[in-house]
Amino acid sequence: MRDVYAIGIGITSFTRLEYPLVEIACYPAMMAMKDCGVRAIDHVYVANMGGGRINHQTGLASAVVDSLSLTPAGAAGIENGPASGASAIREGFQAVASGMCDVVLVTGAERMREVNNLDATDFVATLSHPLAEYVYGVTLPSLAGLFTKLYMQKYGVTARHLAMVAVKNQNNALRNEFAHLHQKITVEGILDSPEAMTNNPFVAEPLRFFDCCPVSDGGACVILASKEVAKKTGKPMVRLAGVGQATDTHAVHERKEPTDLLAVRGAAKKCFQMAGFGPKDVNVAELHDAFTILEIVESEEAGFFPKGEGHLALERGETSLEGRLPINPSGGLKGRGHPVGATGIAQAYEIVLQLRGEAGERQVKEAKKGFTCNFGGFGNNVVCLAFERED
Amino acid sequence: MSVDLEKILRPIENPIPPFPAKHVTLASGEDMVIRQVTRDEIPDILVYVAPLLHVERDYYDVVAARLYGELLAYYRYRVQDEYVLVAQIDGEVAAVVNGRLLSPEVGMSYHTVALRRGLRIGAHSFAAKMEYHIDIMKQKEVLVVAESPIGFRRWMIEYKLEKRFDIPHELGGVPSWALTRELFDRARETLVVGRRPVPDKLLEKAKAGLLPPSDPPTPPEDLLAATRSRYDSTGTALMAQQWKQEGKV
Amino acid sequence: MEIYAYRCKKCGELHYPYRMVCKKCGENEHNEFDPVPLPKKGKLLTHTFVYNLPGDYNVAKLGLGIVELENGLRMTGQIRIPEPKAGMEVRGEVEEVRREAYDRYFGMVFYEA
Repeated sequence: MRDVYAIGIGITSFTRLEYPLVEIACYPAMMAMKDCGVRAIDHVYVANMGGGRINHQTGLASAVVDSLSLTPAGAAGIENGPASGASAIREGFQAVASGMCDVVLVTGAERMREVNNLDATDFVATLSHPLAEYVYGVTLPSLAGLFTKLYMQKYGVTARHLAMVAVKNQNNALRNEFAHLHQKITVEGILDSPEAMTNNPFVAEPLRFFDCCPVSDGGACVILASKEVAKKTGKPMVRLAGVGQATDTHAVHERKEPTDLLAVRGAAKKCFQMAGFGPKDVNVAELHDAFTILEIVESEEAGFFPKGEGHLALERGETSLEGRLPINPSGGLKGRGHPVGATGIAQAYEIVLQLRGEAGERQVKEAKKGFTCNFGGFGNNVVCLAFERED
Repeated sequence: MSVDLEKILRPIENPIPPFPAKHVTLASGEDMVIRQVTRDEIPDILVYVAPLLHVERDYYDVVAARLYGELLAYYRYRVQDEYVLVAQIDGEVAAVVNGRLLSPEVGMSYHTVALRRGLRIGAHSFAAKMEYHIDIMKQKEVLVVAESPIGFRRWMIEYKLEKRFDIPHELGGVPSWALTRELFDRARETLVVGRRPVPDKLLEKAKAGLLPPSDPPTPPEDLLAATRSRYDSTGTALMAQQWKQEGKV
Repeated sequence: MEIYAYRCKKCGELHYPYRMVCKKCGENEHNEFDPVPLPKKGKLLTHTFVYNLPGDYNVAKLGLGIVELENGLRMTGQIRIPEPKAGMEVRGEVEEVRREAYDRYFGMVFYEA
């Protein structure tokens, strides 16, 4: 297998975008091609979850490759729920690592705000098991609520820890010009003050409004290439060192141990194995915090902290921007937004930006090794990526 | 002579108890003051409502257009028994709510416009309005309608409003929903929050002036982008095409 | 009315919900399962009340829970229990749980035992 490098990155603002889905996918691709100066693309991968269902656009990859005038290059769409982004990067990695392609463009996009909020909730709910979960009115936040309650009982995580994650991420997003939310919040405002119940109402007990990520539109792109091509661009050499993926049961109630996210554990393990380094060596991580509880749990399952102690590390400030292992410097899904198909790629965008040293105000000092975790469904399909700066 | 004409055209001044100002702490940690405004403060508010007339998303344009008329009518004494409340953060106008009394027992809620989004400001302001009708003016029920789906979710669903479909609402004549005293009491704990009295310094700052909102909703930058979509959920496409044709863009 | 679990004809492993290949022996195929009604008694493992519901629900909040049934299988269902607690004994009834346009869907609703 050859080495694969991330040579170009691009992203749109994550907000309500009044552009068609195809343009949301193409814009970051244009930015990425300008970034590395490479326009000769062998294959295009487009990550998207809702194109057919809410945007009335199927075959998105074919539309994108033409809109970018990259025809006759090959193009394929990748749909893997919220893990579509990192899944598409994995496919791109395979194409370059195997020697089949020299340069691939991996872009992801989602336009969830084309429909109203109730329909967007229903769209995401279709991820659940059709007979054992969906018919009961199960939505993704409700699965997270069920999970959080168990976690709180077993490990002593409290609403305050969840609020701390929300505040940390949303305040990190203040330094990210592409983030969805540019609103400072405080733990006092969302938990302590007498008006907290109105400011921060329950969405799915015990998860509250500020524990859930916003519904966003957005797109992101990463261009992967072989070492020869990467050297010619003159950009910092950031290698996609490891890729890992693992799955678990579809119905959340069938999980072996209801408080374990085995798919994260397995994917992270495979990813670190391939990369040749471990959780201790990672300087910066982007974890999938669609719900604040997930950042805590993923940080444990990925191996950064012992199981059941993620919230203690959060208390100690280890995961803040100034801490030992900054998690979600971009604001994570909570602050930056969560256009489902684009998230995995946006996480990779942030890590590459950090490892290049171009992250400006939110730069993590001396970031050499980065990690992302893209969580599909509710923990039944997880893809982890590991990046390393080589020069 | 003109004085007599004006007397006929003006509404009868019924005494309405004033709204005692209250303050809430928002999710951002900031303090927001909700207070009633007098007629002479209305022109300042009109200036902030006017730019919303062309923001199509979430029906800001319809709401702003109707609200402008209601505020102007209040200012120039052409509407019966209306009141206007504003929510201010550090003097900046964050929301405007208004309504009127249909009869001593029944209130008619007009509009709720949030000029800063993401902090449940609209929710707090609407709750203050309902508190005014039911707790302070001691009315039996308030008739409510929603122009935007967000309003529908926040009011009809969250408060579980009763249908009063035989009564057409003044806003567009559509069937009304009602918030009765019983429903309000049930929702009291979780939806009606805020502390009184407002600390002097906060109230002074609020009364000192209605400052412009720092981050109000604006029309999209690229007006023609929506025309390239098959389905334009914002409604911008038609307006943008028309403006382009008329050379306004 | 019953909700069914599926027992592998080759090795007897119970599955809920349905899968095409037995997860224990991996030997059998589609339709080589016997339907076995799920027991209607169990213990509540966790619950939540959901407030942001999809459009076809007219209620303000919905109670959901994961229940461990008597035979060891777990299932997700709606709960109509005003004050649920983890470990509480519950009993289930098959009722209408969702309505989408003109379609009605049935599932298990749990009440306090």
